[in-house]
Amino acid sequence: MLEGHPRHPHREDHHQVTYLLKAHCTYECGEHVLVPMPNCIKFITIKRDEEFRVLDLRKKKVQATKRRKLEKGAALQPRANQMPVDQDWSNVWPGPRSFHPASVPLPVRQGYPKKREAPPGKFGNAELMKIPNFLHLTPPAIKKHCQALKRFCTAWPQGLDQDKQEKLFPMNVITSDYCHSSPTIRDPMARIVTLKIKLKDLMLDKHANDKFLRLVGDRYNPDTDVVTIMTDRCPLRQQNYDFAMYILTALYHESWNVEAWEKEKGEVDMEYYDWDASASQSSIMKMLSWPESKETQLDLDNMPHVLEYRNAVSAIFNEGEDDYTLHKYKQSVKKLVNLHEDQLPTAAEQKL
Amino acid sequence: MKTASTCLVVHDADMLQVEEKDELYRMLELEAKGHDAAVLKSYEWFVTTAAREFDIKIGKCWALRKPVFNRMTLLKSVHIYKKHRVQYEIRTHYRFMQFHQLTGSTADTFLEYVQRNLPEGIGLKVTRVLARSLPSHLVPPS
Repeated sequence: MLEGHPRHPHREDHHQVTYLLKAHCTYECGEHVLVPMPNCIKFITIKRDEEFRVLDLRKKKVQATKRRKLEKGAALQPRANQMPVDQDWSNVWPGPRSFHPASVPLPVRQGYPKKREAPPGKFGNAELMKIPNFLHLTPPAIKKHCQALKRFCTAWPQGLDQDKQEKLFPMNVITSDYCHSSPTIRDPMARIVTLKIKLKDLMLDKHANDKFLRLVGDRYNPDTDVVTIMTDRCPLRQQNYDFAMYILTALYHESWNVEAWEKEKGEVDMEYYDWDASASQSSIMKMLSWPESKETQLDLDNMPHVLEYRNAVSAIFNEGEDDYTLHKYKQSVKKLVNLHEDQLPTAAEQKL
Repeated sequence: MKTASTCLVVHDADMLQVEEKDELYRMLELEAKGHDAAVLKSYEWFVTTAAREFDIKIGKCWALRKPVFNRMTLLKSVHIYKKHRVQYEIRTHYRFMQFHQLTGSTADTFLEYVQRNLPEGIGLKVTRVLARSLPSHLVPPS
């Protein structure tokens, strides 16, 4: 294409003619010709005296129109920078919430530090966000909550100290409640009820006490004198409590009952050594009422040394034979038969 | 002559004032367990502070020196390689708090407040020791 050509690209009045294929009609208006473009609303003006336009198929670099960038507002400062020092913190953090760094005016750092660096700061710190925080439970907040809840509390009765407590309320009922982070509030262990009562608080006589202990078995602790009744066989706590009370009532009344066959208890069945009903007592009686052959009813308690002898013999049988009990027995016998230390035969004499 | 009169009828029998006797708790024990000892320590601080505000007698508060480990030794591979195992463990930290001489209403209020503010990941077990008088029917037979 020669430079003088109307559609030469270097000509200043060169128009883009890529859309121009066929002119349907032309309108003459002076020097210019308005040519409607097919499939196009635009009209381009072509100078009449222009030379023939040559079609240029070479792709031109089209400068993409720059999209208008979304004008974001300038980022606000973290709220923590504008917090007054005397603000009411419970209004800022009223309830449990994950850690929010912009709302907490503390320079907290958490996490493993990189080499020669401080631990990571609070912004974008996952460790700080993961751990439960207690920012909603500051001392003034707790005070506020407790002041509001105090009206539902009652004071402990005055004058009800430990001794009076044990006297007036001898029975202890122990139950457990469970609170876990689970969808259900139920826990099967919550049905267990334990009853603890001291044997001395129950009105039982000697026979009833003995029978009660036999019935209760393992549940009695002789060191603390406490009977423990644990019930868990029912599905609900109230039912287990009622069952425990029923057990206690049944045990109590049953231990007072005297069966016909209980009278047949002999010395062989005795679980402890009773000196008052033993052969030792009858022999001592005989000895002390000598020279009368009949055993007269002597007031053994007032007799000298008999009580000591009785205790010593009972100890040997009930507590077992050991140096102490045997020594005690020896002393009591010597006193009873009025033997002094120097009257005992020596080893040499004994051999003879 | 019948006159229709509107009057407010108050049924006294329906509005019986039921007076429930307040229970007496000799002791209250809170057992908190979780995987993080620091959270348990903060929770103990919160509970004891709240107890002080409610004028509750605080008893012994202690924690186990070491957590309870639940260890599992499993096979590392899906198939064979018995000699190569992998070990996992779950650590549970414990904290105990005891409170003495509470009434029923105080105990319920205090416990509800404390349980509502239980942090995530902490489990709580509350043991109550009720002081009850001997039942009236436990008398020796005449």
